[in-house]
Amino acid sequence: MTSVSHRSNKELRPVSKKGFFRTLAGQWQLMLMSVPMLLYVILFNYAPMWGWITAFQDYKPKAGIFGSKWVGMKNFMWLFGREDFINSIRNTLAMSVINLVFGTVSSILLAILLNEVRNRGFKRTVQTVTYLPHFLSMVIVVGMAQNIFASDGAVNGLLKSLRLVKEPVFFLGEGRYFWWLVGVINVWKEVGWNTIIYISAMTSIDPSLYEAAAIDGAGRFHRILHVTLPGIKSTFVILLIMNIGHLMEAGFEIQYLLGSSVVMDWSQTIDIFVLQYGISKQQYGVATAAGMFKSIVAIILLVAANTLAKRLDEDTLL
Amino acid sequence: MTTASIKPNRKNRIHRDVTFPIVNTIILVLLMFVTLYPVINTVAYSFNDGTDALRGNIGLWPRVFSLKSYESILQDNAVYQAAFISASKTVIITLLNLFWTGMLAFTLSRKEYVLRKFITTVMVLTMYVNAGLIPNYLLISKTLHLSKSYWVYVIPTMFSCFNMIVIRTYITGLPDALVESARIDGAGDIRVYWQIIFPLCMPVLATVALFVAVGSWNSWFDTHLYCGGQKNLHSLQYLLKMKLATTQASANAAKTSADALKSTTQTTPITIRCAITVISTVPILVVYPFLQRYFVTGMALGSVKG
Amino acid sequence: MRKLISVLLVLAMILAIMPAALADGAPEPITLTVFRGDPGDQPAEDNKIYKLIEEKFGVKFEFEFLAGDLDEKLGLMIAGEDYPDLFDGGNSADLIISNGALINLLDYVNPEDTPRLWAHIEPQKARLIDKDEDGNDVLYIIPNYGLTDGDQIVNEVNGPAFFVQKQVLAWAGYPQIHTLNEYFDLIEKFIEANPTDENGSPYVGFDILCEDWRHFCLINPVQHLMGRPNDGEVYICVTDQNYAVTGNDPSEEFKTETFIDKPYAKAYYQKLNEEFHKGLISKDTFVMNYDQYIAQLSSGTVLGMFDQTWDFGNATAALKDAKMDKNTYVALGLVYDPEYVDGQEIEEHYVNGSLPNVRRGFGISVNCECPERIVAMWEEMLSDEWQIIFNWGIEGEDYYVEDGRLLMTEEQYMQRNDNAWKVQNRALAFFESSPKKQGWILDGEFAGNAWDPANQPEIVLGLMNDYDKEFLSAYGYSKFADFVNPPIELAPYGEAWQIDYTPVDVDHQDFLNIQDKRLPELIMCDPAEFDAKWDAFVEEITPSATAFGEYMQEAVRAEAAKVLDK
Repeated sequence: MTSVSHRSNKELRPVSKKGFFRTLAGQWQLMLMSVPMLLYVILFNYAPMWGWITAFQDYKPKAGIFGSKWVGMKNFMWLFGREDFINSIRNTLAMSVINLVFGTVSSILLAILLNEVRNRGFKRTVQTVTYLPHFLSMVIVVGMAQNIFASDGAVNGLLKSLRLVKEPVFFLGEGRYFWWLVGVINVWKEVGWNTIIYISAMTSIDPSLYEAAAIDGAGRFHRILHVTLPGIKSTFVILLIMNIGHLMEAGFEIQYLLGSSVVMDWSQTIDIFVLQYGISKQQYGVATAAGMFKSIVAIILLVAANTLAKRLDEDTLL
Repeated sequence: MTTASIKPNRKNRIHRDVTFPIVNTIILVLLMFVTLYPVINTVAYSFNDGTDALRGNIGLWPRVFSLKSYESILQDNAVYQAAFISASKTVIITLLNLFWTGMLAFTLSRKEYVLRKFITTVMVLTMYVNAGLIPNYLLISKTLHLSKSYWVYVIPTMFSCFNMIVIRTYITGLPDALVESARIDGAGDIRVYWQIIFPLCMPVLATVALFVAVGSWNSWFDTHLYCGGQKNLHSLQYLLKMKLATTQASANAAKTSADALKSTTQTTPITIRCAITVISTVPILVVYPFLQRYFVTGMALGSVKG
Repeated sequence: MRKLISVLLVLAMILAIMPAALADGAPEPITLTVFRGDPGDQPAEDNKIYKLIEEKFGVKFEFEFLAGDLDEKLGLMIAGEDYPDLFDGGNSADLIISNGALINLLDYVNPEDTPRLWAHIEPQKARLIDKDEDGNDVLYIIPNYGLTDGDQIVNEVNGPAFFVQKQVLAWAGYPQIHTLNEYFDLIEKFIEANPTDENGSPYVGFDILCEDWRHFCLINPVQHLMGRPNDGEVYICVTDQNYAVTGNDPSEEFKTETFIDKPYAKAYYQKLNEEFHKGLISKDTFVMNYDQYIAQLSSGTVLGMFDQTWDFGNATAALKDAKMDKNTYVALGLVYDPEYVDGQEIEEHYVNGSLPNVRRGFGISVNCECPERIVAMWEEMLSDEWQIIFNWGIEGEDYYVEDGRLLMTEEQYMQRNDNAWKVQNRALAFFESSPKKQGWILDGEFAGNAWDPANQPEIVLGLMNDYDKEFLSAYGYSKFADFVNPPIELAPYGEAWQIDYTPVDVDHQDFLNIQDKRLPELIMCDPAEFDAKWDAFVEEITPSATAFGEYMQEAVRAEAAKVLDK
């Protein structure tokens, strides 16, 4: 509430405290449309936040929050005292950055290519086909990837026939390939799905802008650069800020399925660590502590990204 | 792409207009092949004999054709009951989400709204903080007494901040003049939203509807947590997930080699998994074109303005 | 919309009419809520066995099975005290017991009121009955399996073993293979003579599955090579021989140690390292998932592996389906050659005595309002009549009787594998977790038959195909279990994998993670570096191994004391 953005600042400056309530009263229609959802998230998202207290407890579900033993910062100390937890933070960040870059670039690229398609039927077909893998379960997709990247798989076959390698590359068994494989598989599975949001953003671009550009004699590349891209810029920036906040989430399913013990040092993410050492070991407090840590880092990243966007005079999330 | 940067003249332009669509088409066709392969492969597995499929190496066509996997799923009447539950909750949740999320997004796009900053912050943070499973469970099950009831599917999933932001971004991109001229005509915010903004938002609302519907259709965890014992409330995904898990478990428990001797009546996890994927994806494929119409054709704005 | 409403109306009407349809004279009808800690199929509405139960006992069931993670689900049930009437906590039953979710069955089970139940648990009661904090006798769960009448029936090895394709033994003239060296020598020679199968696919000498919890294929063999049955991740000295081969002090009773960090384990992994460099083991085996493993086995190209029979039942089925009987497997009970263990001759013990499935099965929760009724029902269900209904089904429909023998046609037996048939005709969701009789029927009309059709000699023999019959006769055996020694007497502590190690859970996870990570490295490393790498591995694993091992030592002695004192 205290810091308002530049643009709204101008409008709000004359508002005194009394004026604030008067303005608010004048905005009762806006309130009617927004306050119910505010109360809703307070009930469903914020009321259960008492759960964070358990990060400082040796929480036992039977004893509940009042009966469980207080342990101070012990759960956090335990987490950060473990080399493999620190390692899992590294892996999580590495994989989410790769996913973010690969995911964003590929989906924008595909959206632009699709936008250039004139034949509506073809456009729809491509779009429908490319989003299909989103609905395949990760088990299926990873299973296929494992076959493709196996020592006798298609990729090694190709590399060999191109004489790029003599011995098959052990993609699945060497840690240094792991993060990139995850990135590639995610793009394969999600590129079409992620494109949907950009395609819908492109519909808000005023067609007259394209016409004007065409009349100015701008080429295709110029049109893309000066009409299409600016048209989806705010969507891109907002999604980017949101995703930067999600950098602590690299998931667990794909790593769990694609990983094996020999690449464990590269595949273990925070979520997998918590799965292994949290609730399944009755360490409820540790699970909450890890979640809390993730949330706090997420908020810091989010605010940082948002602030940077504001400095650059871009659209902001907050 | 390189030709595009050359100063346009007649000759180049013709050259460019032929080259780019061809290159573009080739790229997109290749991409379709790459993304279609796993899908067709899944379908091929789903129509293959379960035991034979264990051997792997099935490509784009079943090796030993069999409907056994589908039969074993579809002959269970519970599947239809569960499909009804899933479909109905998906429709209700989608409508409720569009209703609330759209309105909220509109209010948070109005720069003059004095609660804008506060509400936005509160909403956005919900994407990044999570109280954990137990407190959420206790709230829904013990405080609100929603478990073992249909409403547990609907009430806790009426809102998603991500979707709200998507809609807000879209609305922000619309010309301000639209709202301002309406307000000059004396329209209140509610009317401005429903009469002017809402119709313009069809592409983005269709997108959000797709996100919500797919999420709801694919969810099984709520059934697992709150309605696992209520046979009549099982969702389709829960039931299918259970069938897969059961097939996997019974594969492990194929106790004696006498049991494994003849497997003609057996289904295996590999084909069941693929059949389940097909069964749960087909309804989405059926609905998709109706939504796709809204966000592939970029006419919404132009036609209204025209 | 109108259709929807009419569907709902019909549903409501059915629900309203249902109670009236109950049979007359049955006890007051109740519905029991049931939770099973594993996945399962809901029984059909008109399942004939549940109908019988309803008629006889007035009991209906509302089942919930497990779709997601067990510990997570149980944690929530405990937090909300949302317990079903009948509660099977699966592999995490210790969690619900320690949180006070179950009642003490000894309040209802005793020789007077429930003679059958009492007779059922009596022989093993020392293992089953624990002391609570106040020193009272408590029994929370009557085991669902492993309380056996008469001699244990072992037709084949169903647990861990080294496996080899039948064709390999046949090719070598049906030799006796008992040691690690003999086993690998055989495979090496076979693969030298037959590098590929008929289709030209190269044979794989030895597979090591190490995906997730199935890593027992990688980490468990050493204890068996050392002559003990399955104790999970520890080696326990029971016999003089166990003390001799480990070099432990015989005065330490039930000396328990983690074996993976001991010199006698090094021999196995060094052998695997050797075989890896001979090309018998492929490095792809360490990144293989279960599906790929089963695919490879099903293709018939894998000559050998260490595993448990049930773990690859699907692959066996696929091989038999494809008429590749020679590619199916025989379970061998291998031990170390004397050269690995200071010249000691190790006796093999892969098959253990019948083991009660302690703390697995139904308990009755504290929320249940009619525990005495459930116990009375179990009591009645332990009668021959009901046990035969649960195991064999309905006479004339599911089995037939000839000269006092319970028999099934091939069709009747095979339909028991069909899920759709099972949900109609068997009460597995309830029966699998309930107390049940196993082994031989000892008295009454059907004495001498097996309780479980899968163990009935006529059925086992009738289903065996010609290849297997010839194969066995070449060895002069009558069943595949003859390849290993007969079961030994169960040690007083049971089998150590059953012991609840919750207090050292974290150490145990570390202990497993280090093995998962390092053992494949050791198998693949340059032989010249093996010794140094092994030492580094031992050093890395020692802290968690010690913590886990010491805990298990205490626990094993405590378990043994329960049996030996009484």
